[in-house]
Amino acid sequence: MLGEFEYVLITAAAALGDNAYGAAIREEIEATTRRRCSMGALYTTIDRLETKGLLKTWMGDSTPQRGGRAKRMVRVTSKGVHAAKEFYDAVMRVSRGVSWAENQTGSSS
Amino acid sequence: MTAVAWPLVELASRLLEPDEREAVLGDLLEAEETAWQALLDIFGLVLRRQAFLWKSPQPWFAGFSVALPCTYLLMHVSVSVTATYERLFHHRVSTRWPTGQEGFVLLFCHFFLLMAWSWAGGYVVGSASRRTLWLSIALSSLACAFCLVTFRFEPLSRFCSFLFLLPAILGVRHGVRQARFSFACASLLAVTVTLLMIFAWAHQALWVLNWVLALPAWYLVAAAWRSRQEGRTGPSWPFSPAPLPSPVSVRKKH
Repeated sequence: MLGEFEYVLITAAAALGDNAYGAAIREEIEATTRRRCSMGALYTTIDRLETKGLLKTWMGDSTPQRGGRAKRMVRVTSKGVHAAKEFYDAVMRVSRGVSWAENQTGSSS
Repeated sequence: MTAVAWPLVELASRLLEPDEREAVLGDLLEAEETAWQALLDIFGLVLRRQAFLWKSPQPWFAGFSVALPCTYLLMHVSVSVTATYERLFHHRVSTRWPTGQEGFVLLFCHFFLLMAWSWAGGYVVGSASRRTLWLSIALSSLACAFCLVTFRFEPLSRFCSFLFLLPAILGVRHGVRQARFSFACASLLAVTVTLLMIFAWAHQALWVLNWVLALPAWYLVAAAWRSRQEGRTGPSWPFSPAPLPSPVSVRKKH
């Protein structure tokens, strides 16, 4: 099963779709989790997920905004989607009946 | 980020692989991070990459099982070969380095073995620890320093103990570049080395510990065999799934 940060990263990449690359994913993670995401955590997790076949990465185009540097583009594979869904389902199942999840999930009653 | 600080960040990013450096520097520019934060990010990533490398057995194997003991033994052999050469060609006998009654045939045999052992050892170190080579080099240097301090060279030159160095460096270069060679070539090398060692052993001209030096050649056979089984073109670490994957250097641009 995925780790928490792995799930967050896959979800952020999936939400960004064709625009998923290092800086954008990082920004998305920081915005949603309200915590700082280090470059080290981001890129080592991307590598790990790619080794597992859950992500695919390639070097994309460069932009003037980035000083002419290329982006490392990311795409979630079908295996990645399956793993993320499995993690999400597990969190939903384990959260059933707990007080903090009642309002969010609406499935505990 | 200030123009003064950026070169520092670029310098630090040289510790990363080229493709990863490109992506990370671009991300830092896009995020408009401060120089301090950018440096922290880069060093954090480098540390994580290094930590990942040391979790694998390859660097430990290359450093402590190959580089350290092989350097010590090869320095011994280098001096011994030189002592035999001096006795046969210049009739200078070293009492500190007795060479027995070895003739030209055994001298040639030892010289070939020294070259083959050094190259194969270097290859194993280079291929098993491409990105942690500095540890193997440090351990080899340690063994060299130990030998230089403890050996008594007179009347030979201290430089003679480094006969192994050139083929070993060549081996490391080939290993780092994952030079291709076939199973047949690796087997030929290993079998030749073993037969020559048996020949030297039969003539009481081989130190028992020198048998350890045959192992890198057989490692190459195992690596080439594994490569053939997996349909790869170059040899790789024979006992683990992949040889130290490089982050993004092999990925194509779309």
